[in-house]
Amino acid sequence: MDFAYDAEQDQFRASIRSFLADHADPRAADGHDGLLWQRLCTDFGAAGLHAPEEHGGGGFTPVETALVLEELGRALAPVPAWGTVAAAEAVLRLGGADVRKEVLPPLLAGERIGALALVTEADLDPARVPVRADGETLTGTVPVVPNGHVADVLVVPALVGDRVVLHVVTEFEAERQDSLDLTRPVAAVRLTDAPGTPLDEGDLDRLLDVLRVLLAADLLGTAGACLGAAVAYAHTRVQFNRPIGSFQAVKHRCAELAVELDAARAAVMFAALAAAEDSPELATAAPVAKFQAADTAVACAAASIQIHGGIGFTREHDAHLFYRRALTGAALLGSSARQREVLASRLGF
Amino acid sequence: MDITYPPDAERFRARIRTFLAENLPAGWAGVGALPPDERAEFATRWRATLAENGLVAVSWPKEYGGAGLTDVEQVVLAEELARAGAPSGGENDGFGIGMLGNTLIQLGTEEQKSYFLPRILSGEHRWCQGYSEPDAGSDLAGLRTRAVLDGDEWVIDGQKIWTSAGHTANWIFVLARTDPAAPKHKGITFLLVPMEQPGVEVRPIVNAAGHSLFNEVFFTGARTRADLVVGGVGGGWRTAMTLLGFERGGQVTTQAIEFARDLDRLVELARDRGLTSDPRIRDELAWCAARVQVMRYRGLRGLTALLQGRTPGADGAISKLVWSEYFQRYTELAAEILGPELLAPTGPGSGEVLRVAEVGTPNSSRAWVDELLYARAGTIYAGSSQVQRTIIGEQLLGLPREPRLDGGPFAEIRPGKGA
Repeated sequence: MDFAYDAEQDQFRASIRSFLADHADPRAADGHDGLLWQRLCTDFGAAGLHAPEEHGGGGFTPVETALVLEELGRALAPVPAWGTVAAAEAVLRLGGADVRKEVLPPLLAGERIGALALVTEADLDPARVPVRADGETLTGTVPVVPNGHVADVLVVPALVGDRVVLHVVTEFEAERQDSLDLTRPVAAVRLTDAPGTPLDEGDLDRLLDVLRVLLAADLLGTAGACLGAAVAYAHTRVQFNRPIGSFQAVKHRCAELAVELDAARAAVMFAALAAAEDSPELATAAPVAKFQAADTAVACAAASIQIHGGIGFTREHDAHLFYRRALTGAALLGSSARQREVLASRLGF
Repeated sequence: MDITYPPDAERFRARIRTFLAENLPAGWAGVGALPPDERAEFATRWRATLAENGLVAVSWPKEYGGAGLTDVEQVVLAEELARAGAPSGGENDGFGIGMLGNTLIQLGTEEQKSYFLPRILSGEHRWCQGYSEPDAGSDLAGLRTRAVLDGDEWVIDGQKIWTSAGHTANWIFVLARTDPAAPKHKGITFLLVPMEQPGVEVRPIVNAAGHSLFNEVFFTGARTRADLVVGGVGGGWRTAMTLLGFERGGQVTTQAIEFARDLDRLVELARDRGLTSDPRIRDELAWCAARVQVMRYRGLRGLTALLQGRTPGADGAISKLVWSEYFQRYTELAAEILGPELLAPTGPGSGEVLRVAEVGTPNSSRAWVDELLYARAGTIYAGSSQVQRTIIGEQLLGLPREPRLDGGPFAEIRPGKGA
C-alpha cells in the first residue's frame, strides 16, 4: 500500500515548477512560446514521458506525464503541450509500427508540434465528422483545433465509408481563430485532398480515457494556482482594518474550494495510476477525474476573480487568463455533465 | 505507487472472513435486516463473541488486554465488519475503548489503567462523553459545569447535553471548569465520574427522527474521587484534544465502503421507480458515485499516510466535510426519487443510525426518511461544517484568525453568565 508520490516524483515536480516559474509567461508570443516548449521537451522530456524509449520517450508512466501537465496548467504555460501529447497518445496507442517510428520521435523531441482535431467525443459521431476520406486523401474543415495553427502533425477523425477512423495528416492549412483561451489558442484547419495515414480502429474509449486523465491534470494545476492566488491575496488585502482572509465569508469559500481541490488531487492521482497500470478501473476513474478537476478549476478561477475584487476583472491581471483556461479545459473532451453521463452508463445506471 | 494491501494484511483478512462466516448467525444479512427491537440484544451477544476471540479493544496493546493489532490489521478488521454489516462492539465501546481507553493508556496513572481498563473490556463499565453544554457547543472551551474540591472528592454542578449513549452508560468522562479565574482553555479539568449516584440525572432527548439516542445529563452536587483526574488539574483541554485524536484511524477506509453500499440501494430505488433514465436523476446519481470514489481514493491515501506514520493534519476536517455534506446531498436525491411517496412514509425504518444505513436496511420509504433526517445531524455533531471550514481555512490554508473577544480570565468573559 503506497498511494502517494515518491521522493523522485516530488523532486521532478519541484524542478519543473521552478523552471516554469522562471521561464513561463502566460502572455508570451500570442499563446505560443515555441522556444519554451523546445526546452521543456529537451530538458524535461515533457512531451513523451510515458512513451517507450524506442520511440524517443522517457519510459516512465502516465503518472509522470500528468505531473508535467499539472505544472503546465499551474503556470499557464503557453505551449502546445495538449495538442502534442494528445496526438502522440493517439499514434502511440493506435498507430502501426511504421507510423509510430516515423511520427513519434520528432514529436516527442519537440522538433515538431502535434494537434488533435477533436474537441469532444461527439466529434467522433459519423453524422458530425466534417472530414471525409476519398481513397488515400482527406478533405474537409475542422472549425476548432487547439494549437492547430502551430502544428506540423495533425491527428484527425475522418469518415471512411460509414466508419470514423483517426488519420495522421501533415498537409493542411490552419487559420488561428479568436480564442477564449489565450494560453492555448485554437485554429480552424482545412484539408484539401490531403494525404492521410489511417490509424488502427482500436479502443477509442481507452484513448479518450487516458486523454481525460491528462487534461484533468492540467485543470488540477490551474485550480491549485487559482486557489493559491486567492488565498495569498486574502492575506494581504486589508479592509475594515483586517486582512479579508480573516472574514469567514472569504475564509469558508476558500476552505470549500480546498476540499474540492483535495478531491480533484486524489482523483487525478488515482486515475493516472489506473492509466499507468492499464487497470479496468480507468473506465470510471477517468470521467471522475475529468469532471472533478474541471468543476474545481472553474470554481477556483471564478473565486479568484471574486476575491481579488475589481483588480481581478482587469485585462492586466492574470485571473481572467486562468478562468479562460479552466473553461476551455472543462469543455475539451466533453462537459462535466457529459462526463457524468459517461460514468452513469459505464456503471450501468 | 501501489494500492494493494501487504500479504500479511490479506492473510489477516482471510482469517477475519473465516471468523465472520463461522460466528455470525446463519443467513446473516446485516444488522439493518434485524427487527429494531432485536438489535440491542444481538449487539450484546456479538460483543461477547468478539471479546472471546480477542477482537474488542483492537487498538490497545496486549499488555492491557487489547488485541494489539497493527494499524493495517485494524483497518482490515474495520473493513470486513463494515462489509458484513456486523458491529465492532457495543453502544458504549466507541467511548470506552476507542476514546477513553486509549487516552488512559497514553495519559492515565498506573492505578487508573489497572482499575479501569479491565472493566471497560469486560463491559462492566460503560462510558459516555460529557463535553457539550447548552451554552458550549462549537465553543466547547466555554463550558460552565463547575467542579470544586471538597476534601478528597470533587463536587460537580452543571449540565451536559447531546450525550450519546448516556442512557446505557454507568460512567462519564466530564470536562469541568475548576478555575474560573484562569483563561478559558486553562481552567478545565478532565474528570472520571460514576453515574450511579443521586447527584447525576440522565434525561433522554427525542431527536428530529423521533428516536432517543442522546441525552441531557444533570450534575447536582455529584461526587467523584479527587484522584480521578486525567492529564492533571487544569490540563483537561489537552486531554480532551488527545482523546479526539483517537476518534479515527482504523476507520480510514470504511467510509467509502459504507456509502458505496448504500448508493447501490439508492440506484436500485431509482431503477425500481423507472427514474434511472431521467437525465437529472442520472446526473445526480453519477455525481454521488464519483463522490464515493473520491472517498475511496482519499481513504487509500489516508491509509498510506497512516502506514508511513504521517500525521493527518487538517485531513480529518476535510473527511468530515466530504462525508457529511455528501450524506445530505444524496439523501435529498433519495427524497427527489421518492417524490410524493415521501409524504406518507411506509415500511420499516432504518433504525437509529447517525451515519449511513446499516447493511440489510430495507429499501422502504420510511427507511429513507429516517436517513434523510439523520443526515441533517451529520453537519452539526463532531464539529459543525462551519467549524471544519474554519479549521481548513486557518490550519491548511494558513488564513488569519478572526479577532477574538474571549481572552483573559474566563469569569470575566460574560459577566452575569459566569460559572
